[in-house]
Parts: sequence; structure tokens; C-alpha cells
Amino acid sequence: MDLALQLLFTGIGIGAVYALVALGFVLIFRATNVVNFAQGEFSMVAAYLMVVAVEAGLPYWAAFIVALLGMALLGVVFNLGVYYPLRHRTYLPVIIATIGASILLANSVLAIYGPQPQVLQGWFDTPGIQLGPVYLDSQYLLIIGVTICLVIFNFWFFEKTLLGKKLQATSQDKEMASLLGISVSTMIMITFIYSAVLGGLAGILVAPVLFVSIQMGSTIALKAFAATIIGGFGDVAGAIIGGLALGVIETFGAAYISVPYKDGFAFLVLVAFLVFRPQGIFGERVAEKA
Amino acid sequence: MRLTRRDFAAGIAAGIAAPYLIKSAHAQSATIKIGMCAPVTGPAAESGGYAIKGAKLALEAVNKAGGILGKQGELIIEDDQTTNPGIVLAFSKLAAQPDIVGFLGSIRSTQVHAISPDVMKLGKPVMIGGTDPNLTHMGNQWLFRFRPNDSYSGRVIAEYGVSTLGKKKWAVLHSTDAFGTAGGKALTEALTKLGAPPVLDQGYANQSQDFTPVVLAIKQSGADILGSYFTFENDLGIFARQLRQLGVNIPWVGSPSIVNITALKLAGPALYNTYGVADYAEDSSEGSKAFGKIYRDAVKVAPDNQSSWTFDAINVLSAAINKAGSTDPAKIREAILSTKKFAGAEGEYNFDQNGDGLHGYNIVKNDKGNIVFDKHIEFND
Repeated sequence: MDLALQLLFTGIGIGAVYALVALGFVLIFRATNVVNFAQGEFSMVAAYLMVVAVEAGLPYWAAFIVALLGMALLGVVFNLGVYYPLRHRTYLPVIIATIGASILLANSVLAIYGPQPQVLQGWFDTPGIQLGPVYLDSQYLLIIGVTICLVIFNFWFFEKTLLGKKLQATSQDKEMASLLGISVSTMIMITFIYSAVLGGLAGILVAPVLFVSIQMGSTIALKAFAATIIGGFGDVAGAIIGGLALGVIETFGAAYISVPYKDGFAFLVLVAFLVFRPQGIFGERVAEKA
Repeated sequence: MRLTRRDFAAGIAAGIAAPYLIKSAHAQSATIKIGMCAPVTGPAAESGGYAIKGAKLALEAVNKAGGILGKQGELIIEDDQTTNPGIVLAFSKLAAQPDIVGFLGSIRSTQVHAISPDVMKLGKPVMIGGTDPNLTHMGNQWLFRFRPNDSYSGRVIAEYGVSTLGKKKWAVLHSTDAFGTAGGKALTEALTKLGAPPVLDQGYANQSQDFTPVVLAIKQSGADILGSYFTFENDLGIFARQLRQLGVNIPWVGSPSIVNITALKLAGPALYNTYGVADYAEDSSEGSKAFGKIYRDAVKVAPDNQSSWTFDAINVLSAAINKAGSTDPAKIREAILSTKKFAGAEGEYNFDQNGDGLHGYNIVKNDKGNIVFDKHIEFND
């Protein structure tokens, strides 16, 4: 039982990271109908920005704000440089452009900062607390807390605010939204900014656990992408549930079946969903959407 | 001007011959070229940088001392991207240059396995740092190893843990790539021979983000000592932290990656009081000390095995070419194999007929982040 509780905590912690990145995938997909394969690199860039800001002598909270502002700027640049010029094309050129952008981002950071992996201290001086038989890593606690807050924020933002409703309208039908006076390009710009900030937030939060490296984004993004499919592509709640489920499944699978095949369990679940429920847990059926 | 048939034929002949003449002139250029596959990008990019620095420092010294066959040595580097496809591509690019006389391959066994067929096909000497014992025992006569192989590291880890630390309940943890699998197997065999078969033999996949299940498995096994073979420092850092956080404080004797500069930086205090087998230990010999000084002066960081093996590889290869008096691959091979009592940064090289230059390991301890040499164990079999 103690073992299961420890695994459950860790699984939810790592799953929450997948969920945060998956959320970025979903928001951009909803707004533009394309998958942004540079979402993982947003996490990596933010983590490096945070390291640079801390090394520059800024207090941790100020470095955090600077890194997130940097990500908001990256969201603007990404929209204008990658999506906007191709917005009238089919989804394929846009997806390829996001892959290209992801390679560009990774190699740019490599060229500017070098290949050295970096250590980023966590928010708290205490690495964790022992609660009975379970050790609670303070960084994972923070990640879980932030994920819960974001779920609540997203619900409030998209359901209760005018801007959120405009974003939803844009994602559902751009032409109709435009006819109703909503600036579609502005809404898409806001979506990119929000997604970049979300991806960056995930990167900053996970950096003290996984270290800051060029590869950190792609590793997380692969699982987050799987989480998005499991949860239902295009569904915010699905991304969260998918991410958490994936984290828990791979952690328990590794502990009770096989450690070397840990990644295999995650992708086995993905394949099972693609075969038996391609629309994911919360997703609408493809036939209905068409 | 009228173009005659003879002029036209001469022009065509000159056009066809020119690239070959230029290539031939280039091949007999002023430098002796050595190719090097190194991880400039990918998860091992930092240690790849150290490897390149080690090789360049050695070549600088060789050139100052008169060069190779009276010419300056030149290093041609290709990025292996820390992946198997990456090194195959990098090696094929280098192999396509006929004026390269010898190569430095990878420190990662799995990558050496990946290029091994191409090395055999090319038939030129390749210096390697990969420690899977099979690499020099599978019929490829062109691979020459500049680090002791894992049959030695496994025996040293086992011997030190059982005899010196007095521990018999072992958990063996290793990556599931060629390096980790071979290392784990060598350690398990050595422990079994010493009457202490492991209570847990646990593999893990590289680039894992979480080691909680592994740590809990070690905890549940009741092991009183841990032996490990980690391929990547990121993994080692994450594991070390989680191991300590989850309250596992048993002695830990690891393969050389446990004392790498990158691992020490990432894991910090989580690696304090651990032991490692290290092919490079600064205080282990006069050659090691001399390299340490050169490296610190030039690079301003502490040296480790990532740079020491490439330093030695360039020195031995250059000396062998000079001894052979030729760039003929077969003659260079014979010269390398006849290298005895060569004092390198990693220790004294005595090549056997398989191409293994070193036959022992150092034991070192992480004393609050400082790597302290304990003893050297040499094998004669």
C-alpha cells in the first residue's frame, strides 16, 4: 500500500507536467486546427530563460516573470513567423513549419547557450516532506498545485469571460466568429501567447526535477502529445485527464511489470485508444465533427 | 580562334583529370588528417566538448614536438548527435575522405557497435572509448580501445564492494543499451564468482524522467549496496536525487559516469560519499597528473575520462604512425598493437592482440564533491 501511494503521487506529479504541455497542444489545435510540434521546445526555452535570468542575479520570482514574459513574446513571434504566413494553406505545411521551428529553437538555444545541462533550483528550500510512508517532493507538489489552479482558471476563463468565449467561438468556427465582429487573427495571436506561456510554465516547473537541457522539451512533448490523443484532441479536460492518466499508468507499469518498458506502457495505451476509441476519452466522434 | 579536334580532346582530358589531380595533390597535402566522431549535439554534447578538447590538446603537443611523419596533424570533427544513426552518418562522411589515416570513434559502446561493420569495410584504425568487452572480441581488428573494458570494471566494483566494504546483498542497476547490459552482466558474473549473487538485477531505459519505481525496487529488495552502470549523466543525476529523497542511503559503487564532471554538477550532494571505478583519476600516476595540469591550464575545468581517453588516443595513434613510418593501415595497426609501457593520462598502455590497451581500474571516492583516488587494481589475465 505504501508503495502504491508513493507511486501514485509520483505518477500524478509527472502526469501533471504532461498535462500542462498537453494543454498548450490542445489550445493551439482548437484555434488553428494544427498540431504545434514546437510546444515541447517552448518548455525548454522557458527553462533556459529562467536559468539565464537567475544567473543574471534576478530574484527567483522576478526571473520567473521575466521568463514568462519572454515566452509571451515568443508566442507572438511564433504566430507571426510560423503560423500567420501559412494560415490560408492546408494543415500540412503549417505542421511541417512547426517541426522546422522546433528544430530551429533547439539549435538556437544550443548555439547561444551551449550544450551544458544546467541545474535550476526549485521554489522551495525544502526538497520535500515525509507524510507517513510517502515522500512528497516539493516540486511535484507545486506542479500538481499549479495544474489544479490552471484547470480552475481555464474553466473560468473560457466559460465566464467574454474573451474566453470569443476564443471558443474562434476555435469552433472562424468564419462565423469573423461575421460576428470577432478579430480572428487577434484571437489566434492570444492563443499562441497563452500556449507559449503554458508550455513555458511547464518547463520552468519541471526543470528542478529533470534538469535543464536541450532535449528536455522533446521528451516531455512526446508524452504530452500522447496524453492529448488519449484525452481527446481538442478537449481541455481531456488533456488534463490524459496527462495524469499517462503519468500514473507508466509509473505503475514500470513498478509492477517492467522498468525498461516504462515508455512502452504509455504508448501501448495510446495505440489502444487509437484502435478502439480514436476520439479519446472526451473527444467528439470524427463522424460528428465532419 | 579556331577550336581543333586535338584542342577539344585535350580540354576534355584535362577536365576529367583535374578533380583527380587536385584530390591527389590534396591527399599529399601538408597535414596528416585524423577523423573524429564526437557528440557536438544531443544529450552528451557537454561531454563531447570535453572529448574534443582532450584530442585537440594532444594534437597541439604532437605538432609542437615535430608532428606526424614530419607533417602537422589535423583533426576533422563530425557531429555524431549522440545517436547511433548520427554516428553512422558522421563516420561515413569521414570515411569518404581518403586522406584521413585514422579515426577516433565513440566512448559509447552502442555507437561503436553501430559503426563497427563500416569500420571493418573501411579497414582503417579506429580508436574507441566504449567499454563493452565484446567490441574488441568480435573479430573487428580495426578497433583499438583506450579505456579498460567492463570485464575489468565489473570485477573491480565487485571486489571493492565485497572485500573492502564488506557488503554482500547487491542491487545491480544498469541501462539497457549495449554498454549498460554488458556492464551489468560483467558485474553480476563477478559478484556470483565472489559468492554474492545480486538480490536485484534492474535495467532501465535511457532518458527516463522518473526513477521512483527503480528506487522502490531497490528499497524492497533489501540490498545493502548498489552497483550501477549509467550511460547518461542526466539519468544518473535524476536517479541520485530520487534515491536520497526516498531515503535509500546504502553504499553505492558506480561505473565511470558516476565521477564525470557533468554528473557531479547535476547530482551535487546526492552523490557525496559514493564510490566509482574511474579509468581516469588525476592522482593515480605521473601521466595522469601531467594531463590534469595541461587540461586545467587550457580548459579551466577539472579533467575526466571524457577528455583523457581522446588525449591518449591521439598520442598513441600519432606515435604509432611515426613508428610505422607510413600511413598504411596495416602497418599502423601493427604499431599500435606493439605499443607497450606507454604512459598515458589513463594509465600505462600495454596493447594486447585484441586491441585493448588498458587492463585495470582506479577506485575513487566522492568526498563532498572532490574525487579522491583510493587505489588502482590491475589485472594480468
